[in-house]
Amino acid sequence: MDFVVSQLLTGLSLSSILLLVALGLAIIYGVTGVINLAHGEFVMLGAYCAWLLQTQLGWGLLPSLIPIFVAVALLGLAVEYLVIRHLYDRPLDTILATWGLGVMAQQIVRLLAGGELRYVQMPAALSGSVNILGATDSAYRLFVLAVALGLFALTWYVYRHTSIGLQLRAITQNRQIASSFGINAGRAYRLTFAYGAGIAGLAGALISPLKSVSPEMGTGYVVDAFMVVVVGGVQSLFGTVVSSGLLGELTGALAYLSNDTIAKALVLAAVVVIIRFRPQGLFTPRIRA
Amino acid sequence: MSNKPILQLLIYGAVCLALLLIPAFVDDAFLLNKFARYLIFGMLAVALSLSWGYAGILNLGQATTFGLGSYCMAMALKLKTVPIHTGAEGLPDFMVWNNVTELPWLWWPFQSLPFAVAAGILVPAAFAALLGWFMFGGRVAGVYSAIITLAAMVVVNLIIVDQQSYTGGFNGITDLARFEVLGISFDAYARSTYLLVAACLTVALFAALAVTRSKTGLILQAIRDQEERVRFFGYDVARYKTFVFAASAAIAGLAGMLYTIVMEFASPTFLGVPLSLSIVIWVAVGGRQSLLGAMLGALLVTGVQGSLSESETFLSTWTLVMGGLFVLIVLFMPRGLAGIVSGLRRRGTARKAAAQQSGSVGATGAPAGRTA
Amino acid sequence: MTGMAQAQLALRDVTVSFGGFVAVDRLDLAVNRGELRCLIGPNGAGKTTTLDLICGRARISSGAIVFDGTEIHQLSEFEIARTGIGRKFQVPSVFRELSVRDNLEIGSSRQHGVLHNLGRFGGAADRERLERLAELVGLSDDLGKQAAQLSHGQTQWLEIALILAQDPPLILMDEPTAGMTAHETGKTAELFNTLRGKHTLIVVEHDMGFVRDIAETISVMHQGRLLAQGTADEVSDDPQVREAYLGSGGIGHA
Ligand SMILES: Nc1ncnc2c1ncn2[C@@H]1O[C@H](COP(=O)(O)OP(=O)(O)OP(=O)(O)O)[C@@H](O)[C@H]1O
Ligand SMILES: [Mg+2]
Repeated sequence: MDFVVSQLLTGLSLSSILLLVALGLAIIYGVTGVINLAHGEFVMLGAYCAWLLQTQLGWGLLPSLIPIFVAVALLGLAVEYLVIRHLYDRPLDTILATWGLGVMAQQIVRLLAGGELRYVQMPAALSGSVNILGATDSAYRLFVLAVALGLFALTWYVYRHTSIGLQLRAITQNRQIASSFGINAGRAYRLTFAYGAGIAGLAGALISPLKSVSPEMGTGYVVDAFMVVVVGGVQSLFGTVVSSGLLGELTGALAYLSNDTIAKALVLAAVVVIIRFRPQGLFTPRIRA
Repeated sequence: MSNKPILQLLIYGAVCLALLLIPAFVDDAFLLNKFARYLIFGMLAVALSLSWGYAGILNLGQATTFGLGSYCMAMALKLKTVPIHTGAEGLPDFMVWNNVTELPWLWWPFQSLPFAVAAGILVPAAFAALLGWFMFGGRVAGVYSAIITLAAMVVVNLIIVDQQSYTGGFNGITDLARFEVLGISFDAYARSTYLLVAACLTVALFAALAVTRSKTGLILQAIRDQEERVRFFGYDVARYKTFVFAASAAIAGLAGMLYTIVMEFASPTFLGVPLSLSIVIWVAVGGRQSLLGAMLGALLVTGVQGSLSESETFLSTWTLVMGGLFVLIVLFMPRGLAGIVSGLRRRGTARKAAAQQSGSVGATGAPAGRTA
Repeated sequence: MTGMAQAQLALRDVTVSFGGFVAVDRLDLAVNRGELRCLIGPNGAGKTTTLDLICGRARISSGAIVFDGTEIHQLSEFEIARTGIGRKFQVPSVFRELSVRDNLEIGSSRQHGVLHNLGRFGGAADRERLERLAELVGLSDDLGKQAAQLSHGQTQWLEIALILAQDPPLILMDEPTAGMTAHETGKTAELFNTLRGKHTLIVVEHDMGFVRDIAETISVMHQGRLLAQGTADEVSDDPQVREAYLGSGGIGHA
């Protein structure tokens, strides 16, 4: 019993990280259709911001979260304005441009902060552990889970119940018609991109005490996030949650059962197969033949 | 694309001839080895230009097929080293270290060098044909097929790293014998090796040119333009795309084999994301819709990089600059340097035509030539 | 040359629905070899969808489509095209990045194989045929031009020429004169009259003047069904047809 619960909790923790990382990518992809290959670098920059604020200004992680969100969101805004907005009708070129941007971000960080691993302290208040059904789990991991779900709920609420959400849904249906009704699609895309980037930064900051921070850390995350989005379905926020949960538990189980490398290869191969046979994701119904 | 095939043939021929003549002027073995490496990258750029520039298939995992070719050659050359670098009973050293007791069946045929050379082209081509059939048969296109090529590369890379006892794992396959054919020995630093690479590049370039100039090449361009429409003329689009994907892989595989000869080892980094990204950058810089442009793009970028320093900070700065340049090119110059050249030439001919027409305007009253 | 038995193309009880919306509803249609059939109907009647079903762009939900005695509705698009069916689209669809000459070259598709076409580099015989075609549609001076630079009318002409280059026994034309001037429309009618007998044509059109110029038999569709069939006069006197066109201001203006 203990073992099952603790295995489930491990999976749940992985799931919450996946959800955090994937949420931003899912929003951007779902609304604008841009596959942002620099998404992992937004995560990485969030983590470096946390490290910087902690080592230079002595800030704890919790008070840093809002400034980090704002900073990375502003960066996202700039990237959208300077690069992405020119490429909305050239999808292949967006992958290329964002790939290039990701490389640039990595190199800038490497030049400024060095290539070595960095570590961020956990908030003292959350460094204890909690007992759940006989298994123990760290309080911080539960906190991350709570934040992930909270962010998801917030995003869902904005998308479903606010006027900006309504505009976004109109734009994803048909950009031209939405524009002719006076919806400023360009502005909506820009805000979406900034919000997605901000969440990625937040994800990076939250992950930083759990993993080591390095310039390349983003590469792994963009793959994970993309996987979640593909499995969950592009147009479905709930699909994102379900697939984070599923993939988190699955990765946890696979890692326990076999070696890490093969687990990774298997999951990637599964993603390839899913793209081929169900490009709309596992959890969205097929609308047109 | 030039509309004057003869002129195009002449230009391509002149460039290849110049590359073949370099050893007449360069004596430095180290430099020749470096140049040979650049030419191999040029071949990779030709391969990507064929699938991306002409058929619109963006292959983010071009390095996969390069790596497969490289491993085919390395396996054969490793088995030729018996008994110097290998352990008991003709086993490669890393297998002995990994407690493998007999040669795995996968390695058996590589005891024959001709087999290995054929495999170095056919294995990558078959891999690409399979992946292509899988993707294009299911009408996976555009961004999704790009992502699949990337994911497939990571999978192959992980498998190679994981299967250490059969592949040398993270270290790759090192300490190889020299490649020898018909009594000619191809030392990595020898003139013969450079010439071999330059000759292969020439063959690959002209083969690719023949493909693009044929009707098949035309149909591929039509597919790039409007895949849907092509089907209604009776062409099997999936087959065309699979063909060009495999042809591109064959060229990359050949490049991979040569790379093993020039570098004297094979490594999982040969099928890595960084190399794949570099290939995309070279082709974007040179011009994806021109085979020659793409190749020269590779020579230019790697040449400049190689002639500057190779320190750690320099490499970071260089990568940063290349990343920025790449983004700018994607944004503002999708046809790369070749696009600028052909743009200038078109403007030249348009001006000439306009001048000729304006002479006859008085007579016909027609407006002076509309320029593109 | 009458009766279903000899029809070159027959749609039998064909139905298609898109997520519950029935776009074509138990349609029966038979077209004889060498016939020029016009298909008319108000906007959204299902005309384009019918052509889509024939050439495989859309899949039927039930029924059967028979061409030259074989069922074709299960074949993929390129296989249907190879049985001898060519299609011109409502939104003119040519290869805009390629030159007019290259466009025509792709249209002339008697050989479809990758390897076969690998050995072909535009021979003189081909060139002559393509130049004659270009002349037929008035594009002789534009052979070297990029298709993207053609006017809308010229693009329509180019697509028609592509189909002629393909030279299929059955040609499906979706609104070939849309966007053409009266003069250009007249020339198109002339061209179609010369094709009569050599090819079977199904032409979707809104321009009744044009339809009267070319049609022998007219089929009228409404809400996915076949409403009436006959000569131009028979059809325009049909009360059901008049009613169907009521909202859209009469048959000539649909
Ligand atoms: N792929 C599709 N999914 C959903 N509905 C479709 C699809 N294709 C067509 N329809 C619908 O089917 C109906 C018939 O469309 P169709 O294009 O065949 O009409 P049409 O007779 O060609 O009209 P028009 O004269 O305007 O070209 C329309 O209501 C259209 O909205
Ligand atoms: Mg229509």
